[in-house]
Order: sequence, then structure tokens, then C-alpha cells
Amino acid sequence: MDKLTLEARNVSIEFPGVKALTDVSFQVSTGEIRAVVGANGAGKSTLMKILSGVNPDYKGQIYLNGNPIELRTAMAAKRHGIQIVYQEVDTALVPTLSVAENVLLSNMVMDVRNPIVRWNRLRREARAILERLHINVNVRRLVQNLTLAQKQMVLIAKAIASKCSFLILDEPTAPLSDTETAELFRLVKHLQATENIAIIFISHRINEVTQICERYTVMRNGEIVDTSPITPNTTTREIVEKMLGRTFEEIFTKDKVTIGEKVFEVSHLSGADGKVNDVSFYVRKGEIVGIAGLVGAGKSELCKTIFGAYRRTAGTLTLNGKPIRIDNPTHAVKHRIALVPEERRKEGVLVNENVTFNLSAACLGKFCTASFINRGKTDANARNYVQNLGIATPSIRQVVKNLSGGNQQKVVVGKWLAADCDLYIFDEPTKGVDVGAKQDIFRLINDITKQGNSAIYASCENAELLSITDRIYVLYDGRVMAELITANTNEDEIMHYAVGSNTMYA
Amino acid sequence: MQATLGNSARGGENARRVLRFLLDWAAIITLVLCFIIFTLVKGSSFMSENNMINILRAMSITTVFGIAATVTMAPDGFDMSACTLASCSSYVFVSMYLWYGLPLWLCIVVTIGVTLIMYQLTMFLILVCKIPDMLATCALMFVHQGLGQWYIGGGAVSTGMRLPNGSAPARTALSDSFSAIGRAPWIIIIMLACVLLAYIFLEYTKHGRFIYAMGGNRQAAKLSGINIKGYRYLAGMITAVFIAVGGILVASRGSSAQVMGADNYLMQSLAAVFVGRSVGGAEKPNALGTLVGAMLVSTLENGLTILAVPYYMLPAVKGAVLALALIAAYAGKREQ
Repeated sequence: MDKLTLEARNVSIEFPGVKALTDVSFQVSTGEIRAVVGANGAGKSTLMKILSGVNPDYKGQIYLNGNPIELRTAMAAKRHGIQIVYQEVDTALVPTLSVAENVLLSNMVMDVRNPIVRWNRLRREARAILERLHINVNVRRLVQNLTLAQKQMVLIAKAIASKCSFLILDEPTAPLSDTETAELFRLVKHLQATENIAIIFISHRINEVTQICERYTVMRNGEIVDTSPITPNTTTREIVEKMLGRTFEEIFTKDKVTIGEKVFEVSHLSGADGKVNDVSFYVRKGEIVGIAGLVGAGKSELCKTIFGAYRRTAGTLTLNGKPIRIDNPTHAVKHRIALVPEERRKEGVLVNENVTFNLSAACLGKFCTASFINRGKTDANARNYVQNLGIATPSIRQVVKNLSGGNQQKVVVGKWLAADCDLYIFDEPTKGVDVGAKQDIFRLINDITKQGNSAIYASCENAELLSITDRIYVLYDGRVMAELITANTNEDEIMHYAVGSNTMYA
Repeated sequence: MQATLGNSARGGENARRVLRFLLDWAAIITLVLCFIIFTLVKGSSFMSENNMINILRAMSITTVFGIAATVTMAPDGFDMSACTLASCSSYVFVSMYLWYGLPLWLCIVVTIGVTLIMYQLTMFLILVCKIPDMLATCALMFVHQGLGQWYIGGGAVSTGMRLPNGSAPARTALSDSFSAIGRAPWIIIIMLACVLLAYIFLEYTKHGRFIYAMGGNRQAAKLSGINIKGYRYLAGMITAVFIAVGGILVASRGSSAQVMGADNYLMQSLAAVFVGRSVGGAEKPNALGTLVGAMLVSTLENGLTILAVPYYMLPAVKGAVLALALIAAYAGKREQ
């Protein structure tokens, strides 16, 4: 089998608001398992999207075996044998069709001669591919009835069934359990041994990278900063240091807040379909408690389980010394708990409504006279928060979808501030928010706690957690790995626990 | 302790499997139960050859429109205007035969042709103007009603009536072969042929599978190289043919083309598709499921009539059956 080499030379891309790639050069050859690592927003996904033809507006040139190729459409990338398996496997499978059809769908399209489906042959061929990869799934089952891990396997089989020389796995292990991960690694090793294929493995879990990859490429702020072989001497810490760099510093000086009694306690909480396991922690009055962990560690799931949006299977919640029951978000709001969700456009704001309505939406009752909305009161409320939060909007009647991401986020926060809650849960509040707005949001959260309220702050940006929180719980696989006092910890220590190390940080 | 845990977990697994089985086959189980109960209560006045043919005849028009809806819904489309278009088809069919005296086979061909042409408008709104199916076809309902009645001059097309322009019709009576289309056994044979054709197309041709693929996940289908617009169009054209056939059956059965004569079949044909969706765990609109759905509705109607349930109660019963079938289809879905 001839070795194939895919090479990107001086590739750049820009989009408004998102960190772009600058002059990235990347090379990979068949027969190798390559890791691509980097912090959130380092540009890993952007680069992979370019290679798979989903980001057509790149500058620079991509070569296959030295011949220039254009990867401007997803189909073009597939024709050149570049296949990608996204973390969200459901976007690439047809749930209502059988495993056999999903595996061979592209092949059926290519085969123009036979209009009739020969079910026996189709199933036999699909079974042969699955057997070749040692994947044990019944080809007659509908994809919608498979587990997530099985869907991933089917998707890999689908890639292999069509032309595949370069297989990109985008954070494949994030949603998998330990046994499922081991099974995936077995498959990856098997592919490497039996097919002429390069596997590009994107992961946040550094211990996994050192386990199965031969070389790793580190990206930071849209650039490739290093490509090195993995030797028995390569340490997790070494890779993490390269990922973070030493230049990355977020300056925010927090005002001191006196911390009082325990106000909220979670004990042995499990739920969210197994993504939250036996989590216990507490929050004191005036305190900001950080929830650290990598993408997929279960931070959002934890926030939503506390808030009653996901099902709780075990555990108790205590507010001000009294046990409380939160089975749905209505209960949570009654107990004066607010959630500022991660997907703000989907879950946080009413994008087609104006600023005034959004800012009063969480507590419309306050602004009503006998069930009729009092425009004067809502306007006054809106003006107050627009000014205090520094929301950049031409008018309080502006429709929220026309605001920038950071300002939308401020609207979400403002909406809950108006509701006067005691405990605020922030889930990735700075996601997609520029540096200036980040500072405003930090200031805001700091101010909330000054008034004697408390906050839970979930984020995968460790630098932010270090500057805003008082204590940090580190999650891995839905479990609390460590409780850290912010003043006595650092990014390395958080990362150490976030990648699933069981040992004490030295 | 470990063992009991294992057992109870396995017990739960088994219970879930049994429940799943019951839900998957709910429509068929209900159908069989209906047959058993009606036979036990009414004996031979229900379970007789004549009455079975009654049931089949009564369900055939609903089934044909159900098949049209199945083909539209397979690629995740929807057509609210199918039956108003079918009314137009029936006007064309009867007027070609009575007014212009065309031979029967040519009337059928012209009707299918005109329906296909009318369906280009539906496809234009959906594929070119990118209007969501539901909204586009809602608007088209009125367009079909208006255009159709303009063509027939506002009154029914039947024997002994003059053309809107006052001239005499070419034929004054319907032939036996015209009427035979709407009677047993032909109407039943036509229904079964439609079901069989749609079944073969959707289950055994690549094109059918691609249509299902785009219905299940449009993006994934597109990235697998499927021409999704092309297949939506193909599904639309096949739907149009079944709509035309349905319109012909309605006209032949009623020995005339009544104003808006086919409009009322829409809801029951959709009900048949929804009931049939989950049959056998298919989880998608499918031809055999639609047949079962239509048969269930028709059997209930027939049996309850024999039981002397007042006719005005029947819609409530039909509605309840539809609701139960939908519960079977959507119960046990995981929360999002």
C-alpha cells in the first residue's frame, strides 16, 4: 500500500468574532495516529473543518501527495478520502434507517447501475465491514435504538465503507464511558494495523492522547505551536504547559466579599442519564464556587440537574438548612435559584423579542398591574439594567438577535438579576464573549455576591475560574475529582485533575 | 445482593422489551381485537364475506390518499392540499368523460397529467420559494378550490348537466366500465396495487431508501451525496399520481364529480399514515402501515355501525383511536 500524505500549507481563516487560524501548516501521513490538542478556541475544530471541507473560505493551499487539492465542499473532502466523525454523531446518521443502510449509504449513492435494493446483499456487505472492524452490532437494528458508542462505531464503519485514507475523530471519547473508550481505542489500533489510513485524534483528555497516539500537535490561539513524538517520557504536564502557553493571562481583580454561612448544599447527586455521578458540594453566602472540567465532563449537566431541567436519580439538595425538592425548573425558580444557561441563543434569551421584554421576562409579575403589563415599569427596569450592565444597544426596543454575543449574554444575566434570586448558576457565561464584555460579566457576578447572594460558576476556562471564584470543584466524567481553594491553586493543578488523574497533584 | 440486583435489572429489561413489542404492534393488536369483539357480539352479520368486502371497499379511497401522504411524508414533507387537488382531479376526470367524450383510458391519462402539472406549483413553492411544506400547501388548498370550481363553473359535474358555457355534453350517461372502477372488486384491486407499488418503491428501490434517508436526517443524507431536492421532487410527482388515482376513485364511486367531493378524505388519510407509522417498529411512514391504519379506521366504523352506534358518534371514536395510536408511537420516547 502506498503511503499517502495530506498537507496543509499556510492555511488561514477569519470569521467575525471567532478566533481565526493564522498561517497553519499541518502534515499527516497514513499509518500514523496523530493527536491534535489545544485549549478551547485554539482552532482545532476550525482546522479540522477546513480539512473536511466544511469551512470553504480558507486561504492557503492543501496538498495530497504533493498535488494541490481544493477542499471547498464536504463532498470534495470525501472524494479525496478525508472523513470526519463529529462528537455529535446524530448529525451524521439517519436514525430511522437500519445500521446496514447507514453504513453503506454513500456506496448506494455511488452505485448508479442498480435501482433495486437487494436486502440480503446489503446486509451481508455491511456485516462484512463490521466484522472486519470487529464491531458487534446487528445490521438490522434501527440506528435510533443504538447507544451513543454504537452509533460512533457505525459512523466509523460508514467512513471505512467509502474511500477513507484520513479519518478525523473529533473528541470521540468525550461522551463515552471507560469501557466504551477502551473499545474505541481497540478499533483505532485495529484500523491502523489493517488499513492504509491516518487517524487524526482530537481530544481534551491528555492521558488518552499519550495512550494511543504516536505524535501530537499542539494548537494555541489559532496557531500550531508544536508537533512532537510521544515517547514514554512524555508527561501530561508537559503537554498541558504547551497547550496553555505562558502568555495567556486574564487580568481581573476581584473585590473582597465576606463569606458567610453555608446556604446551599448538594449531596450525592446523580442524574442526567448517568452524566452526573454522586456529586457533593456546598456554597456559602457571598461565595462564588467554580465548577471546572473539560468539555464533556458533565458541568452543564450538573448545572441543569441542580436546576431541575434534567432528571435527578439520587441525592438531596439543601437550601438554608432545609431540604428542598427541585423536580423541574419552576421549583428552582420558586426557591430563588437562577440558571444562566450555556446555549444562550437556544435556552437563555428570546432572540426575536426586544431588550425590554427580555429583561423583564423572568419576573413579569413584578411589572404588572392586575395582570396587565405596565409599560412604564418594564421600561424603567430595562433602562436601569442597560445602564448598569453597560449593554451596548441603540435602544431598549432593539430586538435581541441584533446584539453582539457579549451583549446578549449581559441581557440573559440582567434578566435574572431583575428576578432577585439568591443563588445564581452560571454555565459557561463567557462562551463566545470578547475580552471587554468578559470583564463586565465578571464585575457583574462579583457585584451579585457583594449583595449577599451566591453563585456557581461552571467553565472550562481555568484562567477565568482562577480570577473569579473562591473555591473550585473539578469534575471528570461526572464525578468530583478534587475540591480546591482558588487562592492556593493554579491552572496546572486544575488541569491535572480535569484530565482524570487519580493521583495527588505534587 | 449482587444477584438480586442483576435479576431485577433483567426483569426491567424484559418488561421494557414486552412493552416495546406491544407498542410496535399496537395497531395490529387493536385490529385483531376489533375483529374478535365484533365477531363475538354480532357474529355473522359482521364476519361475513359481504361485510369484509364492505370494509375493504370503504377503506380503499382513504388508503389511496394515505399512500399519497406516505410518499410525501417519507422525505419529511407534508401536504395539506392533497385532497383539494384530488377534487380538481375528479372534476377533470368526469368532465373529460362527459363533456368532451374522451375514451375512458384517455380520461385517466389526462387526469394524471393535469394533476402532475398542478403539482408543479406545489413543488415550486416548496423547492424554489423554500416555503415550509405545511404553509405552502395550506395556501394551495384555497388555490385548488378556487381553480377547480372556476373550471367546473361552480356546480357539480354529473350526467344530464350542461357545460358552463351552455353547450350540450358529448355523453349523457356513464358506461359500466366507468362505474366499475368505483365498485368491488376493481376499487379494492386498485387500492392493493397502489399499496404494493408504493411498498416496492419505498422498501426495495434505492430511490425509496434515499427518500427515507432524507426524511430521517436531511443533512446526513446530503453529505452522503444524495440529491435531496431531486428526491423531494420525485416524491412529489409520485404523490401527484396517487392523488389523481384517488380523485378518479372518488368520482367513479360517486358517479359524478361533486364540488369539493374529495376534500374530506384528508384527515382520515393522515390518520391512517400516523397510525401506520409505528407498525412493526418501522418508525417512519410506510405503505403497509398505512394500509393497516386505514383498515383499522374502516373496521371500527363498520363494526360500530353494525352495533348501532349513532353515526354522529363515529368521529369521536375515530379520533380516540388516532390518539391511542399516537400515544403508542410517542410513549416511551426518551426526554430530550
